[in-house]
Amino acid sequence: MSLETEVEALRRVPLFRGIDETKLRLLAFISDRTRYQKGERLCSQGEEGDSAFIILLGTADVRVDTPEGERTVAQVGENSIVGEIAILCDVPRTATLVAATDMDVLIVSKDDFLKLLKEFPDISLEVMRTLALRLERTTRDLAEAQRRAGD
Amino acid sequence: MARRRDGARPHPADPDAFMEKSLFSFIWRFSKRQQIFILCVTVLTYPVTYILLELPKLIVNDAVQGSGFPRAVFGFEFDQVSYLVLLCFTFLGLVVVSNGLKLFLNVYKGRLGERMLRRLRFELFQRVLRFRLPHFRKVSSGEIIPMITSEVEDVGGFIGEAFALPAYQGGMLVVQLGFIFMQDPLLGLAAISSYPIQAYIIPKLQRKVVLLSRRRVKNVRVIADKVGESITGVPEIHANDASAWHSADLSDRLYENFKIRYEIYNRKYFIKFLNNFMNQLTPFFFYLIGGYLVIEGDLSIGALLAVIAAYKDLAGPWKELLAYYQMTADVSVKYQTVVENFDPVDIYPAERLTSDETVALKGDLVLSNVSFSGGAAGQEVFDVSLKVPQGQMVAVVGPDGSGRAEVLQLAAGLVSPSSGRVEIGGQDLDKLSEATLGREIAYVGGAVHVWTGTIRDNMYYGLRHRPLVGPERTAEEQRAHERWLTEARLTVNPTYDRAAVWDDYAAAGVKDLAELDRRALELLSAVGLDADVYRLGLQSRFDPTLDDKFAERILAVRATLERRIAEDPTLRGLVELWNISQFNASATLAENLFFAVPKDPDITMDQVPDLPEVKAFLKETGIDGRLEEIGLKIAETMIELFANVSGDSGLLGTYSFITQDDLPEFDRIVRNARSVVQKSRMQDADRARLAGLAFKLVPARHRLGVMTDELKAEICQARKQFLEKVVAPGETFVAIDPGVYLPPLTIEDNLLFGRARVDRRDARQRIDQVIRSIVEETGLREPIMFAGFNYHVGVSGSRLSASQRRRLALVRGLLKNAPVTILDDIATGLNDEDQQLRQTLRALLEGRTLLFGSPYTGLAEEFHAHVLLDQGRLASKQADPT
Repeated sequence: MSLETEVEALRRVPLFRGIDETKLRLLAFISDRTRYQKGERLCSQGEEGDSAFIILLGTADVRVDTPEGERTVAQVGENSIVGEIAILCDVPRTATLVAATDMDVLIVSKDDFLKLLKEFPDISLEVMRTLALRLERTTRDLAEAQRRAGD
Repeated sequence: MARRRDGARPHPADPDAFMEKSLFSFIWRFSKRQQIFILCVTVLTYPVTYILLELPKLIVNDAVQGSGFPRAVFGFEFDQVSYLVLLCFTFLGLVVVSNGLKLFLNVYKGRLGERMLRRLRFELFQRVLRFRLPHFRKVSSGEIIPMITSEVEDVGGFIGEAFALPAYQGGMLVVQLGFIFMQDPLLGLAAISSYPIQAYIIPKLQRKVVLLSRRRVKNVRVIADKVGESITGVPEIHANDASAWHSADLSDRLYENFKIRYEIYNRKYFIKFLNNFMNQLTPFFFYLIGGYLVIEGDLSIGALLAVIAAYKDLAGPWKELLAYYQMTADVSVKYQTVVENFDPVDIYPAERLTSDETVALKGDLVLSNVSFSGGAAGQEVFDVSLKVPQGQMVAVVGPDGSGRAEVLQLAAGLVSPSSGRVEIGGQDLDKLSEATLGREIAYVGGAVHVWTGTIRDNMYYGLRHRPLVGPERTAEEQRAHERWLTEARLTVNPTYDRAAVWDDYAAAGVKDLAELDRRALELLSAVGLDADVYRLGLQSRFDPTLDDKFAERILAVRATLERRIAEDPTLRGLVELWNISQFNASATLAENLFFAVPKDPDITMDQVPDLPEVKAFLKETGIDGRLEEIGLKIAETMIELFANVSGDSGLLGTYSFITQDDLPEFDRIVRNARSVVQKSRMQDADRARLAGLAFKLVPARHRLGVMTDELKAEICQARKQFLEKVVAPGETFVAIDPGVYLPPLTIEDNLLFGRARVDRRDARQRIDQVIRSIVEETGLREPIMFAGFNYHVGVSGSRLSASQRRRLALVRGLLKNAPVTILDDIATGLNDEDQQLRQTLRALLEGRTLLFGSPYTGLAEEFHAHVLLDQGRLASKQADPT
């Protein structure tokens, strides 16, 4: 369990694709490596978000509150980053994350993530690109949904 | 003897009502016998000194050059050589006697001075205790402290000389003068011709110096006060950027001090100059007049020479006398400048403090037409009449400045009314001693004071009035104690034994210390301080030699916890337990290597590598080299990671164990270490820095990949060696061992025998919960709270919060078990917590008299009755039970 293995994992995260290795090592160093056992919560919907999670190993269920109780709406797996929205724009967590298997996670705190973005603008660019892609996809989904509703 | 101001004396029965105004009457009054003794011994040295001066002449003239041997001395016959031997040994004997007397006299004088000083200092302190409370608005501790400590210091040195020196030197002077007068009265007159002028001018000049030293003493007091005030108000200084102002203020005072001192020097040394000049002027006349007389044939040359020689001897005593005069003037003024501050007209009589007679205060608390003035608006009480029947609880309501605090202090007997009477059960509080007021009334005011000491000290403070049960002493200790007693009596200091048991169990209504502790625990829970004390207990250290059962119980909890962790898979992941043959990745490398804790809890883990035996071990086993390698790897990685990070990003500060400022330094060390040539010449300081870096490494947190499995195994191996070579034979360390209580660690660290894993989220909090529940289950909460009793609260309780201090003072008041309780501004809020506390207080004090001061009217209905105060007057009485 050393920085090297973490850097390997980080390299596979799409968000950090274009970033050189020393910076990834720095990111790995400043984040907390944490283990979660199956069933443990990483974060809960509605609470204030203070960190982002980079999943190195295992998968987590993304759950949202519905009138009928919590419902799993998606799963996130290895090499994905979750919870970054909460730390970028100070909104409460939009969903609950529960470890579906035993997990290894890198936790980056809000302050450090912002410092890192400031220090290395190319990471910001990459974050922007990822967010733009998501927005584009969401817009398309919305249009699709509206079209279907209009039918 | 004591000077008395008739008419103004408040306590005619008290002979010590006033302090001696002059230094000499103080010295004479309390040490006349010793002074006379010193004088006698001094006079005794005079013939010895005289013979000692005569003997050498006798040896040379009579023994060496004399004739007519054998001589008869005391009926024995001596030939020339044995006569010489006799005289020489007499000389030797007299040298011993003379110097022995001097030694004895010096020690005697020193001892007398110290005793008188102790007496004076104690008297001053006791007078401070006898000041009435309003007097403290006029004096500050910053001024009082130098008075009692440094300012009277010189008095001690002076006391031994006060009478003996002028008597001795004056005697010498008279003898020498007599000799001159016998030679020739005219020359005698010439010798003393300058004395009248000196006697006239010098005191005049000295007077100025005295006035200046008085100013200087007062100025230094102000400096002390300003420094003291700056320390108490230091947050305000920083918060208002006022340090420049305070610096200027103090600097001004220092300049003032310089000016005064400079002027003193000028005058003091001018006096010296004048005196020396006058002294030399006389020989001038001798040579002129004496020479003329010899030439004229009226005086023999031998007589003139003898007179000049005698005059030289005159200069010695005269100089001494002058120095004495200057010192007397200086010390006297210091004494007066101190003493005048300790004689307020309205000082309490000493018996109020010293009397040990307690009068039971049973009955109604009555204020009849009481007026009081604190010296400022808002601190006054006008014509208040009030009756609180015994056993009733009455709220005294009024905003700050309404006279509420003053009325409550009057009722507690802390201040005296300027007119009217305050009585409890018909006893006038103003006439009662503190033995009654301080024991029968429990007063807790708005501004509580917590003493520097433990929580226990503070809780039982209200029960410590007099020593009750003396300690058992060995014969040797008893002798030391007797000596202590004698000294105390000689200096009129109290003979209260500090080592005795002072806690008055009976007053608190308990049998012994264990019961008192339990009672205190109940009260702590009642005022809601139990959780805090429990937490403090967990963080406190405990000496298992005092109570090995408690240590065993802690070890039992440790074992239970270990078992529970082993059984529960979710807990297992939270803790990494200490294991002698396993590397603990959640602990630092230092902890892993030493696997022991220093016995002295003040030695931190960071300091351990610097201990000589540890240093030697590291060098001997070659581990220091390994550590430097690890440190070097860490430094390399850190430099590589942070090389491109700008200094102000803040990333380095939080995450690395190297700070931004250290980075260039480590960069240099790494470069040095890499170059082959310089590697062998790496400096010790650099090596130590690298090793220091390695010691701080927590592998699970830092994940630098430097701790390979081989290295871990190596560290575990070295750990065993360290145990054998350093821990076991030495006295410095206690080995980490699952079956042993580790006194240097806190109780909390002893309960959890391992480290919460750093790579699990909230592991510490979750494991703390488990510990808490096990502690509750095993009934260990109470003993841990008792351990918390020994928590040191810091200077004036600075390690407690304001609310904790207030609650602690409340427990102190409640423990006194007094028939009358007076609380001011305690738990007066309308929130649930304060309401709950008030309810508890009412239940606890059921059947006793309670005066409850509050600025808010909202809570008045909770009490039997309430009175309203407005601008020092009673505004209304409601539901008055009378």
